Amino acid sequence: MARVVLVRLAWMLPILLGVSVVAFVLMRALPGDFAQASAGTTELTPDALETIRRSLGLDRPVWEQYLHWLGRILRGDFGDSFVTHKPVLGELLPRLAVTAQLTLMAGLLAMLMGATSGLLSARLRGRTDWVVRGLNGLMLAVPNFVVATLIVLLAGLYFPEIGIFNYTPFLTDPLANLGSLLLPAISLALAVSVTISENTRAAVLEVSSQDFVMVARAKGLHRRTILLQYLVRNALTPVITVTGLQLASLLGGSILIETIFTIPGMGQYLFDSISNRDYPVIQAIVLVAATIVLLMNVLVDIAYARVDARVSYD
Amino acid sequence: MATNPDPELALDDAHPAAADGLQRRSLLQLALTGGALATLSPMALAQAGAPKRGGTLTIGADADPIGLDPVTLTAFSSYDFTALLYSGLLRWNAEMKIEPDLATGYLTPNETTYIFRLRQGVKFHNGQTFSAEDVKHTFDRILDPASASPSAVLFAGIKAVTVIDAHTVKFELKAPSATFLSYMATNPNGVIVPKGVTDLKTKPVGTGPFVFESYEPNQQFTLKANPNYYEEKQPYLGTVVFKFFKDQASITSALRSKAIDMTWFKDPKVSAQIVKTSPDLVSAPGKTSRTFPVWMNLKAKPFNDVRVRRALSLATDRKACLQTVLGGSGKVGAMVPESQVGGYDGVSPMPYYKTDVAAAKKLLAEAGYASGIDIGDYIVVAANALDVQCAQVLQQQWAAAGIKVNIKPMETAPLIALWLKGEYTLMSIALSWSPDPDAIVSRLLSTGTQGKGIGMADAQLDKMIEDARSILDNAKRAAAYQQIQKHIADQAYILQIYQYPLRWEAWWKYVKGYVALAANIRTFVRTTWIDK
Repeated sequence: MARVVLVRLAWMLPILLGVSVVAFVLMRALPGDFAQASAGTTELTPDALETIRRSLGLDRPVWEQYLHWLGRILRGDFGDSFVTHKPVLGELLPRLAVTAQLTLMAGLLAMLMGATSGLLSARLRGRTDWVVRGLNGLMLAVPNFVVATLIVLLAGLYFPEIGIFNYTPFLTDPLANLGSLLLPAISLALAVSVTISENTRAAVLEVSSQDFVMVARAKGLHRRTILLQYLVRNALTPVITVTGLQLASLLGGSILIETIFTIPGMGQYLFDSISNRDYPVIQAIVLVAATIVLLMNVLVDIAYARVDARVSYD
Repeated sequence: MATNPDPELALDDAHPAAADGLQRRSLLQLALTGGALATLSPMALAQAGAPKRGGTLTIGADADPIGLDPVTLTAFSSYDFTALLYSGLLRWNAEMKIEPDLATGYLTPNETTYIFRLRQGVKFHNGQTFSAEDVKHTFDRILDPASASPSAVLFAGIKAVTVIDAHTVKFELKAPSATFLSYMATNPNGVIVPKGVTDLKTKPVGTGPFVFESYEPNQQFTLKANPNYYEEKQPYLGTVVFKFFKDQASITSALRSKAIDMTWFKDPKVSAQIVKTSPDLVSAPGKTSRTFPVWMNLKAKPFNDVRVRRALSLATDRKACLQTVLGGSGKVGAMVPESQVGGYDGVSPMPYYKTDVAAAKKLLAEAGYASGIDIGDYIVVAANALDVQCAQVLQQQWAAAGIKVNIKPMETAPLIALWLKGEYTLMSIALSWSPDPDAIVSRLLSTGTQGKGIGMADAQLDKMIEDARSILDNAKRAAAYQQIQKHIADQAYILQIYQYPLRWEAWWKYVKGYVALAANIRTFVRTTWIDK
């Protein structure tokens, strides 16, 4: 088991290297760089543009810039932001913590809502099933940024006293912090909870028609035991996969949600950096996000083995 | 050349630079009140009781600053902050006329020399005393190519800046320039930075009414009142906080819930609606400062043919665009917006402005496109919903005359790169307020990079633009810009559709003493106070 995990972790390195090349080259392949993007329609002479580029090292060949950047990363230095002139890492880490918290809250909410509604839908069938599936269809059709925009507009209009934009850091006031992240987490969780709900429903339905469930029932086991020991445990495998893989979509969704709710997380940082062509920041965020997704995949694999006795890495 | 020890009193009224009524009056006022500026505009006075001191004004901003060093910054989003942190020798008053600021007056012994007498006892935020050396240092920095200052182009006409004494500084220009004072009065182009202080990008030090306190990117930017500010009793506010909202719905909601006291909107319809539903909000669109043009590439077919360009102009119903897209909150546009010298009033006749589809078809047929023409991509700024809407209206209007275009929304940064290089057939990107109309029309000079890029070759227009730069009489200058605009419309080098304020400012009624400027620079936060 440990060996397998180590191998999986080692495989991350070449993947991350590939990601770093793509992130680096792709941003530079886009027309318009920082010098141009920050100036907007302000007219700069070609000389002035060139001076700005030289001061940021953008005049050198791309491969040279890349190697220089990679060399610094290996020493733990992600470079300085073009916009704030401060080290990227120092600005990124606190934001990463905020996004991690938001994603975690959204993930938990999504699992709670998704697993509960999926289970109810599969077990009760009939009207409950229709309602759950109808709601799922609706939530899947409405993108999370529309939900977020609606929440923001309605709250501003009818409940100005809740102060939806008052983000409070966790260390300042933990309770206020949870409160300020609740609405963003819900809007982020909705779409993901649908996927989880549908998968749970399908898995539970599939498992309940299996022979071993019928045997358990014939043995006269308590309904509760059947549900928890036989159904849920076996239906959990696909649900875990989906939840783990949905992390990427939670991270992606946080870009817009954080921007709409003005939460100082990594997503909002990325949004700004892309419009400003702040290369060092974009590259750092892409690398960090890729690392998180890869790590999550490894974790999902480990979780399989824990939950499903059929899966073993030994 | 002899210097006058008391320039304020020696101002020659007959001199063209002092001929502008308001400007002269404000200078005379200075002389009478012994240096204390009468700063409250009529508008601000009308709303004002006795200003209350202290309190916090929270402003909703739609973008973070990119650098706070006025010499090197290029982003409009930084202006909000430089407007409060720094001040220059001159400034714009509420009527967008030039008045003295760090200077107490100026003297123009001849058309190419300006001698500024500086205010005494002014201190920078770090305690350093402001003097003529700082003025010289600022302009030396701007003109040094190593600074890559965007203001260098604006002040390229400066031959030398000389310190005469600690409170007198002389500017010599290469040629008479009508634009010089406008640029000097504009924040951040003409603001003064302290000599010997580096790293203004992140630690700004100015002479402005507010002092930098803290900045958390994407969160908030805090400024405190400058206790040593030179205007008596100002600023009234104790603290100014900018909160950042990148989403227009969020900013709307924040204003409604009073999470912010003041902000501005990009969409006039949104602004109109909010104010309609909340009578306690003040909306100040200000004068029109932004135009929506359609740029054509004149280098190649079909727009190298003036008949095709005129046909496009005739096929355009500018008023319909104005009604549909802006809900009528704006005016028909020409090259120079109304808030500037010689700006177009939106109603005077302009060549080829009348909508006449039949005439457009006839011109197209003459140009060899009797069966209509497919222009191909019409590039617009994807991030600007107003631009995209207007492009869609235009697409339909043009189709009626047999002109087909395919709208291609694009991200702003690459679009600007294409625009400046002239690599497009048809494109729209709005033009915003600039301190002087010259900055706008000189984009069409056949000698400039942009003019070259789109293939401008009109010696007559070049001469008109260059001549207008050196007319010091405002009325004559306005007439010159009217002529230039007519000429541009006649040749249809560019189609201007409508003009409107760049930002619609809005604030709650308890915010007093604020004035929205057409320049959309919030310098009047210095006279603002809160009455809750």
